[in-house]
Amino acid sequence: MLKFILKKLLLMIPMLIVISFIVYFGLQLTGIDPINSMVSPEVLSANADRIDELREELGLNDPLIVQYGRWLGGILTGDLGYGLDGTPIARTIATRLPYTLELAGYSLILSAIIGIGIGIISAIRQNGVIDYVGRVLAVLGQAVPQFLVGILMIWIFSIKLGWFPASNRVDPMATNAFVDAFLHLFLPVATLTIGMVAVLMRYARNTMLDVLNSDYIKTARSKGIPEWKVYLKHGFRNAMKPVLVILMFRIPTLIGGSVVIESVFSYPGIGTTMTNAITSNDYPVVMVTTLIIAATMLVCSFMVDVLNALLDPRVRLGE
Amino acid sequence: MGNQATVSIKEQNKSAASSLLKKNIRKFLNNKLAVLGLLVVVIMLVACVVGAIIGVDFSTPHLDQMKSAPSGTYLFGTDTIGRDLLSRVLIGGCYSIFIGVFCAVVSSVIGAALGAVAGYFGGKVDAVIVRISELFQAFPQLVLVMMLVAILNQRGLGNLLFIFVVTGWMTTFRMVRNEYMSLKNETYVKVCEAFGMSRSNVMFKQILPNVMSPIIVSTTTNVAYFILQEASLSFIGLGVQDSTPTWGNILNAAKSLQVVTESWWIWVFPGLAITLFVLAINFLGDGLRDVLDAKQQ
Repeated sequence: MLKFILKKLLLMIPMLIVISFIVYFGLQLTGIDPINSMVSPEVLSANADRIDELREELGLNDPLIVQYGRWLGGILTGDLGYGLDGTPIARTIATRLPYTLELAGYSLILSAIIGIGIGIISAIRQNGVIDYVGRVLAVLGQAVPQFLVGILMIWIFSIKLGWFPASNRVDPMATNAFVDAFLHLFLPVATLTIGMVAVLMRYARNTMLDVLNSDYIKTARSKGIPEWKVYLKHGFRNAMKPVLVILMFRIPTLIGGSVVIESVFSYPGIGTTMTNAITSNDYPVVMVTTLIIAATMLVCSFMVDVLNALLDPRVRLGE
Repeated sequence: MGNQATVSIKEQNKSAASSLLKKNIRKFLNNKLAVLGLLVVVIMLVACVVGAIIGVDFSTPHLDQMKSAPSGTYLFGTDTIGRDLLSRVLIGGCYSIFIGVFCAVVSSVIGAALGAVAGYFGGKVDAVIVRISELFQAFPQLVLVMMLVAILNQRGLGNLLFIFVVTGWMTTFRMVRNEYMSLKNETYVKVCEAFGMSRSNVMFKQILPNVMSPIIVSTTTNVAYFILQEASLSFIGLGVQDSTPTWGNILNAAKSLQVVTESWWIWVFPGLAITLFVLAINFLGDGLRDVLDAKQQ
C-alpha cells in the first residue's frame, strides 16, 4: 500500500511541472509586457530612458526558459511575485484560498450526505414520492444554469425575506464570527450543493438499485437478516464505491462552479481573484491561481486513487 | 441473373433499413417527453431565426426607457440602457444556439476522429493522445477556458468558439476510443482487414457507422452543455462582448443587486429561455438514446 501511494505521489510531480510549463508559456503568448507588472507606472515613466537597463536588471532579457526556472523557483520557495496593484500574490492567496476551500468543502460534504441519502431512499422505495421528486429535481438541476439558481436564491432569501446577506464573506460589524460565517456561507453553499445533489443522487440511486438486485442481497435476505441491516451493511457498503469515485470526479465541476458562484455572491475567493485578474490582464495572478487550481485537482485525483485502493484490494494488487 | 440477385439483396437491405427507421420513428414518437423536447427546440429556434430575418432592433438604446417593465410596446421590458429585451432574447438565442450547435458538432468530429485513431491503432499513438487528453482534464474545464480567454486576450465570438472546441472534445474522445478498442477485435473488422481494405476505410467506413449512435446522442446533449458553459462564462464577464447578445451576456446585467431587486424581467426572461431550451435538448437527447442505443433494447 505504501509503495502504491508513493508511486502515485511521484507521478504527480512531472504532471505538475508540465502544467506549470503550459501555464507559464501560454500566458507569455499574450504579449503583455511583464515589466508593467513588476515596476510601478510612476517608476516606469520616471525612468523612461532607463527601461532597457531595468529589463536587464529584472532579468527580462534572459531566455524564456531561464525566466520560467526563476518563476518556478520563486513559487517553490513561497515567493509568488506581485500583482498589478503591488500586493504580494502570496498574501492575496493566503486570505482568499481558505474562503474558497470553505465554500467548496462544505458543498462537497453536504451534497454527499444529501445526494447519497436521497439516492438510497429512492432506490429502496422505488417509484415512491421521494423517488419521483428526486427525478424531477435531477432533471431541473441539470437544466437551470447554476448562477441563475444563485440569483433566485438572492432574490428569495436575501431580498424578499431578508434572511441572509446577498454578498461578501465577512461583515466587519459582526460580533460572532461563527454566526457571521454561517450567514454568509449559507446561500452560496446551498446553490453549489443543489447542483451537485442533482447529479449525485441519480448515481447513488442507480448503483444502489444494481446492488439491491444482485444475488448476494437475496442470499442475505433469505438468511433472515433484518431488512435495515441488509440495506446498510450489505447494500450501502458495496454501492458506495462507484458513488465515491463519481463524487471525486465531480470536484472539477465543483471548483468550476464555485468560480461562477463566487461571482454571483461577490464572494472574495480564489475564483473571483482569477476572474478579476483576467479582466484586468493581471497575468502573474492568473498564472498562480491557475496553478493552484490545477494542483488541487491533481491532489483530488490522487486521493481518488488512494481511496479506491483502500476500498478495493484489486486496484493496489493489480499495479 | 446474378445481377438481379444483387439488386434484390440491395432492395431487401433498403426495405429493412426503412422499416428500422419507421420503427425508430414510431418509438421516438411514443416518448412524449422527447417529442415535447423536439417541439420546444424547433419552436424556439424558428422564433429566434424569424426574429433575426425580420431584423428586430436589439441594439438601439432608448435612454428615456431604461429598465421599463414589460408592457405593450416592450413585451419583455427593456434592459439597463433601454434596449428592447424581447429582441435581445431572440437574437441572443440565435447566437447561443449557434455556439452550442457549432461547438458540439466540431468537438464531436475532433473527438471522434482522435478516438478512432487512438482506439484503432493503439500503442504509442494511443498513449500520446490519451496523455494529451489527461492533461486537458487536469484543469476544471471552466478554469481551462478562462486561461485560454486570458491567453487570447480578446473577447470575440471566434475566440470563444475556438476555446470551447479545444476544451470540449475529451468526453467524445474517450467514448469513441473505448468503442473502437472493443470493436476492432470483431470478426467483421478482421475480415475487412484480411481482404486488404485500407485502414482508413476500415476505420471510417466499417467501424464508424457502428459508433454513430452514441456520438449522435452525446453531440445532442453537448449542445446543452456548451450553451450553459457560454452562459456561465458570459455571466462572469469573460464571454462574448456585449454588442453581440447571447442569453448569457444578457444575464450579465443581473450581477448587479439593483437589477436583481428592481428589474426581475431582465434576468427572468433570458434565464427562462436558457432553462427551457436546455431542458428540451436534454429530453430530446434522452429520447434519442432510447431509440438509438442498442444496449437498452
